[in-house]
Amino acid sequence: MSDDKTILLVEDERQMREAVATALECEGFAVCEAASASQAAVEAAARRPDVVILDLGLPDRDGIDFIRDYRAWSPTPILVLSARTQEKSKVEALDAGADDYLTKPFGIAELLARVRVLLRRGQAMPAAPEPKIRFGDYEINCVTRVVERAGEALHLTQIEYRLLVFLAANPGRVMTHHHLLTHIWGAKAADNHQYLRVYVGHLRQKIEASPACPRHILTEIGVGYRFEP
Amino acid sequence: MAWAALLLVLMLPALRSGPMTDTPYFLPATLMLAVALTVGHSTLRLRRHAEIAERKSLLSKTLYEFSRELSGALTATDVADATFAFLASAVGARNAHLIPPAEFAAPPFPVLATRLEACVEQARLNWEPLPDGALHALLPLAAASGTQGVLAFEAMPAVVSHPDFVEYIETVASLVAVALERSRFAEMARETEVRHASEVLRSSILGALSHDLRTPLAALVSMADTAALGKASPERQKRLLEAIRNQAMTICQQMMNLLDMAKLSSGRVELNRAWQPVDEVVGVVLTQIRGQWRDREISVDLPRNLPPVCIDAVLIERVLWNLLENAIKYAPADAPIELAVRQLGDRLEISVSDSGPGLPDGDAGRLFNLFQRGRQESDVAGVGLGLAISRSIVDAHEGEIGASNRLGGGACFYFTLPIGNPPDVLALG
Repeated sequence: MSDDKTILLVEDERQMREAVATALECEGFAVCEAASASQAAVEAAARRPDVVILDLGLPDRDGIDFIRDYRAWSPTPILVLSARTQEKSKVEALDAGADDYLTKPFGIAELLARVRVLLRRGQAMPAAPEPKIRFGDYEINCVTRVVERAGEALHLTQIEYRLLVFLAANPGRVMTHHHLLTHIWGAKAADNHQYLRVYVGHLRQKIEASPACPRHILTEIGVGYRFEP
Repeated sequence: MAWAALLLVLMLPALRSGPMTDTPYFLPATLMLAVALTVGHSTLRLRRHAEIAERKSLLSKTLYEFSRELSGALTATDVADATFAFLASAVGARNAHLIPPAEFAAPPFPVLATRLEACVEQARLNWEPLPDGALHALLPLAAASGTQGVLAFEAMPAVVSHPDFVEYIETVASLVAVALERSRFAEMARETEVRHASEVLRSSILGALSHDLRTPLAALVSMADTAALGKASPERQKRLLEAIRNQAMTICQQMMNLLDMAKLSSGRVELNRAWQPVDEVVGVVLTQIRGQWRDREISVDLPRNLPPVCIDAVLIERVLWNLLENAIKYAPADAPIELAVRQLGDRLEISVSDSGPGLPDGDAGRLFNLFQRGRQESDVAGVGLGLAISRSIVDAHEGEIGASNRLGGGACFYFTLPIGNPPDVLALG
């Protein structure tokens, strides 16, 4: 099924690149490799990959600059690999347009799972958008603005509704605090993380079976939230 | 004197007019004049004495206040700042600066090295006129252990030429010199202490690296070699590879701990604090823990409507992870673990309890020291960093961390976080 999918792997460390490339090839993906940002830019233009896996620490350029340049012309999902000491650049990369991140060391199974989620999203994008979002027992009707659980309407405030729709429309994607705040409240609220936490708390009380161990709205500590359908 | 002169002036016309000279009034008049002169003179002297005493008392009061201020100055910079401010207000000094001994060979403009050298050698105030009529003064600061530096400043000639100026300014110099000397000794003591502490830390890190990391690395090499031989059954091969992965992950985690500790103990950590419900951190850590130890049972007691806390979530997550990981590693596999959060007055307490063997005898606080492990020869991997890191993080949050044995057996580790005054955000639509 994944034969026709191409993954661009940008990683300067040879052993790491080989390990990841081998794993991806074993899963049937076509892999093109790049060891620097400049090489990656050339490969990205020539091969038109379906997903880009990008290590942030590159020898020639900052990975975040690469993301900004790439986002200027391509919506292809980007999975960022970061070292644990790069907490800040991780958030910057996501704000610059990356879709997800993994912190080294990561499990290969986790990497493959993330790549599959990104591929599904990449596929879903060009299709005509459906005004309904479904996850678990829930159905969101974006036309009537009604959220139903197993056919029963759920009462959500205006902001809770907008937050839920925005999260659910981007399944699997890590949404940074900054991104969510500017989208829901506008640019003025960008630094007021506590707004977001309060509303995410409310939303969890309403849609999660166990708000302390959420299943749908997952916290990425220090980064933001990820929605799992 | 003025009195006497006045009297003389009043009497002169009388003297000149003549009649007094040949009258018997002459003698008393002369006597009175003499008395007046003497009284006038002594009054003047007394007054001058009183004035001098008053000024001296004012000067010694300002000096006393200055010396009190100096005793509060801890560093050479504090001393210098206090001195500049004092000189400006007491003698109207301008452009005051301190030339430390290190700069004697090449003093800052407009001081010349030869002039500075001569001044230090004579250990006396030295001044030179400036083009604008002011004087440029150099004041050597001599103390028991040598010259602590030279104060350079500009002052008006009227001030400098005052007969008491030299005595006064040299008293100031000796006060400043003693303060500088004291700050230098304090600095040296501090440096020695820091050097000693980092020496201890370095040797502990080396010890930890050589014992606790070399051993698992050796096993890693052997396992990889065995796997590379390719003679083991596929089943065993798979087990070997899994073991290699777990071992590598453990080492990786220990490296992270070491790096974290180095960062935390260097004091370079900036807390990225934000108001948030503690549930969020608890939820994330539980998800991670359940991912790594699938079959460990952890019961959670998390009341609803707990107040938010202002924390660095990434760091508090590390604390909670460390406490849970410890409970999982040290308590028997079938012993249940309890995680509880509760509000105690103005603090939130988060505790992790197990029903394992409990704490080793002795001081529980010792467990939170660097490279301290409950049991020295333990088969549980680790270098004794987790709790030390946790303590540093909780300290930075102005919380408390501790451990105790439970009544029914087992250990309880807990930490508290101050609640403070969260901003009211519920008012927002």
